[in-house]
Amino acid sequence: MLAIQLAITGLQTGALYALTAVGFSLIFGSTRIFHFAHGATFVIAAYFFYGVFGAGLGLLPSIAAAGLGAVAFGVLLDRLVYAPIQRHEGSFFTVFVASFGVGIVVQNLIGMVFGRGFVTVNTPLSRSVEMIPGVYVSPLAWIAILCTAIFLGALQFFLRRTHTGMALRALADNPELVRTFGLNPRMIAATAFAVGSVLVVPAAIITSATTGLNPAIGHHVMLISLAATIVGGIGSVSGTMLAGLLLGLAESLALLVVDSQWTEAVTFAILFAFIIIRPAGLLGRATAH
Amino acid sequence: MSAVLETRQVAAGYGGRPVITGIDIALQPAEVLCLIGHNGAGKSTLLKTMFGLMAPEAGEVRINGEPVSGRSPREIAEMGVAMVPEGRGVFPSLTVTEIFALGMHATGVPKAERAERVDWVLGILPVIREFMHRPASTLSGGQQQMVSIGRALLSRPKILLMDEPSIGLAPKLFQDLLAPIRTLQQREGLSILLVEQNVREALKISDRAVVMKSGQMIWEGGPDELSDNEKLMELY
Repeated sequence: MLAIQLAITGLQTGALYALTAVGFSLIFGSTRIFHFAHGATFVIAAYFFYGVFGAGLGLLPSIAAAGLGAVAFGVLLDRLVYAPIQRHEGSFFTVFVASFGVGIVVQNLIGMVFGRGFVTVNTPLSRSVEMIPGVYVSPLAWIAILCTAIFLGALQFFLRRTHTGMALRALADNPELVRTFGLNPRMIAATAFAVGSVLVVPAAIITSATTGLNPAIGHHVMLISLAATIVGGIGSVSGTMLAGLLLGLAESLALLVVDSQWTEAVTFAILFAFIIIRPAGLLGRATAH
Repeated sequence: MSAVLETRQVAAGYGGRPVITGIDIALQPAEVLCLIGHNGAGKSTLLKTMFGLMAPEAGEVRINGEPVSGRSPREIAEMGVAMVPEGRGVFPSLTVTEIFALGMHATGVPKAERAERVDWVLGILPVIREFMHRPASTLSGGQQQMVSIGRALLSRPKILLMDEPSIGLAPKLFQDLLAPIRTLQQREGLSILLVEQNVREALKISDRAVVMKSGQMIWEGGPDELSDNEKLMELY
């Protein structure tokens, strides 16, 4: 029974990891910007939801606030921080340091406004019910899995069937050629930040109502996103999605054999194993530079 | 006859370092003008400046007499110019169908005309039909170049800029690729500016040639004159 319980919990965690990691992978894959502040996007979405919901403004306004906060943060960060650095031919590392710095600032600002302690949003959906004898599952677990399926399905449709989605894939392949086609790489990059940031929102909201939040949660989110991007194969959205699920399941099922403080180590054991054995990741293309 | 594309004393470069200076070129209607020069002569820089990918530091570019310096590639494309870039002008992860769709979307081809445009290009380059649904990464160099040319033609340009389309292709394949373009030029009055290092093959289809060296024009004339110029032919 414990294995089933952990598998379901792992599936829920993995689904949320997949959403967050795919957002990062989409941004990194198409713009080559190491958006470390993606974790801060998660924090902003989660705390905006927590703040508005806590103020009693209802579920839909809370979701809208989380979505708007996340998208505005992602797009403005690209426009006001990354774009100027790139315009002055700043290096990959310069962009990374700027992103890291913004992440720290956001963490501290959120801490100042909402406090540094642990907070949760209590909803009737948070309470677990006994699904089969000895296995307790909260309705939010199914909502997490359903949300992930819907969002990632919609993302695949967007990337394969719309011109904007194709342009995002084109930008990932060759930014210079994008200009030759007559497209504007900066506009496409802004779309990547908007879409990548939106994907974080359901994960942030569900996390706020399940495991809870603190302002430093962004670092964990970022590390998982990075690990899933590498394990899935850099540039592969489908690979990152699978890797997110795999990491969530592995973290949870690891509790069968190790203590809970070691679960994060499991993520990194998997990451190192992939780096050594299969550096191209689950679905990435092997490349030589 | 007035030029469809001309540059007047154009200078351009990277990071303040000039690559081309004082370039005066005029492409006439339905003309194939071949731009010849070694690596670093500034041929690609000139093409990029003409297509709005680089801003000229001095001088101006005119399309049908209208100054276009500072306009975006999309705006220039909407004036009837298309560019086949150096290397393989395709996105490896996109299928040929997607590359064509994106190309038409980017240059503002009306939705109602898109299917007809694709049919028109497939009529000119029928081999593409065989691999329409394959990702470009799975195509040979010649097939990728064909797709790149096909994508450029989808906007039904009046002026086609081609940057070294022969790179990596056998001379026979290059000629096979250019033959339908030559037909199009004769049938529909397409003007072509062809940048090439493969001088002998390029001159076979050119009406006129310009030789560039170290960012400047050093010779201009007909292909026969150039073929007779032993000194230049030895160099190129």
